[in-house]
Amino acid sequence: MSSNFSSGGWNRRALFAAAGGGLLCRPVLAATRSTKVPVEEISRERRRMLQMNAYAIEAETPLDALTTYLTPNDLFFVRHHWNPMYPGAKTWSLTIDGEVERPLSLKLADLRRLPRTTVTCVLQCAGNGRALHTPIVPGVQWRYGAVGNARWTGVSVADLLKRAGAKSGARHLHTFGSDRPPAKVPPFHRSLDLEKAMGDAIVAYEMNGDPLPPLHGAPARLVVPGWAGVHWMKWLVRISPQADALTGFYMDTAYRYPNSPGEPGVPVPPAETHPVTVLAVKSNITDFPSQASAGIPAIVRGFAFSGAPDIARVEVSDDEGATWSDATLDTRHDPHAWRLWSLRWTPRRTGRVSLSVRATDSRGSVQPKDAQWNPSGYLFNGWHSVQVEVRA
Amino acid sequence: MSRARTALAAGALLAGCFLLAAPAVFGREPKKAKTPRSRAVAANFDVRLPVLGTHLSDLPPGPAKSVIDQACLLCHSTDMLRQQRLTEKQWTAEVDKMVKWGSDLPQDRREALIAYLVANFGPDNDRFQPVITRPVGK
Repeated sequence: MSSNFSSGGWNRRALFAAAGGGLLCRPVLAATRSTKVPVEEISRERRRMLQMNAYAIEAETPLDALTTYLTPNDLFFVRHHWNPMYPGAKTWSLTIDGEVERPLSLKLADLRRLPRTTVTCVLQCAGNGRALHTPIVPGVQWRYGAVGNARWTGVSVADLLKRAGAKSGARHLHTFGSDRPPAKVPPFHRSLDLEKAMGDAIVAYEMNGDPLPPLHGAPARLVVPGWAGVHWMKWLVRISPQADALTGFYMDTAYRYPNSPGEPGVPVPPAETHPVTVLAVKSNITDFPSQASAGIPAIVRGFAFSGAPDIARVEVSDDEGATWSDATLDTRHDPHAWRLWSLRWTPRRTGRVSLSVRATDSRGSVQPKDAQWNPSGYLFNGWHSVQVEVRA
Repeated sequence: MSRARTALAAGALLAGCFLLAAPAVFGREPKKAKTPRSRAVAANFDVRLPVLGTHLSDLPPGPAKSVIDQACLLCHSTDMLRQQRLTEKQWTAEVDKMVKWGSDLPQDRREALIAYLVANFGPDNDRFQPVITRPVGK
């Protein structure tokens, strides 16, 4: 256990012990919690997670807990490919090699001494909403809450690669985490366009002002604003500019999106797909009355985000999309962060009313009524609707 | 192998019970976990995050249930199976992918496993509910 990794990672029985350990530590360590960034409180009854898998841990946040501009770390959705192998903070280092003049190896302390960059943006799993696609596809059956908005602090990739002297021939950034797959499962290695990485990606070691939690990639992870979570490599140990994209199952087969819309349920050959990258414009309702009275205003709230830097408009319909009312956008915003929105809605008729929301982003993309079906169920962004019982 | 795994599980459970019970029995916090193993694992668990405990619901009965432990559960909890809603074609593709990736599924149990998965977790499966967990510290 004196190696770089403090967890063997692959015994599920060990996880049971971990759960016991967590319970044991609860009263002791709860007092040490510190929140340097003011994260709005979520009421006690809403503070919960919907756990999809016991191991590897997967959990989404219920929509009614996604009501704040910054999502608290302990309510942030969790997604793993397999049981993680956590790097030790003291032994961890980030290697920068490949097409660079000066390969570097940075300890966490080295990273912390470099100029800090902070971005506030949405992290969404590529598969968020998979369960809502028809016909259904295999994979974690996420519904609404594999998404959150956080303030990430670290060092910009551009700064790191400038220090290492990235060569002009490099086009792709290969990224590697410390986790290892079991058996003969292919490793989760990824590459992304170097131009995007140099544009606004950071190597983050803080999340909402606290050290990055282990479940979220401690001590450092990649943050790629506006792009799906699959690019945000956790437990990052190596980045490497290269001329060519990485190959392997998680590049060539998984996390790919059809080049053009196809027939639902019909497989798409890999040659007719591209890596899933930019998030699709999307909005959700987080607060609404289950019962309301005709003529008496009620408040409806939610969030909206896109792969575009901002949201231009959020609208709500109470007549299946025939007419729309503009919601008020919250003033808080950062590039690729979500916008909270609210609407004072006055029910016009009694009975069961369906409220739907749609967003328009700063590039003019409008959220569609139906999401584009694709074989892996990525980027679901069909209208989100809720039901309200309106009385006289 | 099986006996060793069972012993390990029992040991982990016993250790967990002892550690949980210790404060009540002795009226104070335990000084340290008893073994380097449990200490290492506990140290990895960030208490500011949800305690996402393990949830091993019983799988529905069936002739292939016994093979699932060795073929599937080393890497997946039962939740991963129970939340799927796949056709026979989709399940077959998943099972064959996992065998290619090292799943310990005897060839003569393959068809029975696929049949079990289709029968219980087919397109009309609407029984799965996520487990509600609460973060600690509040």
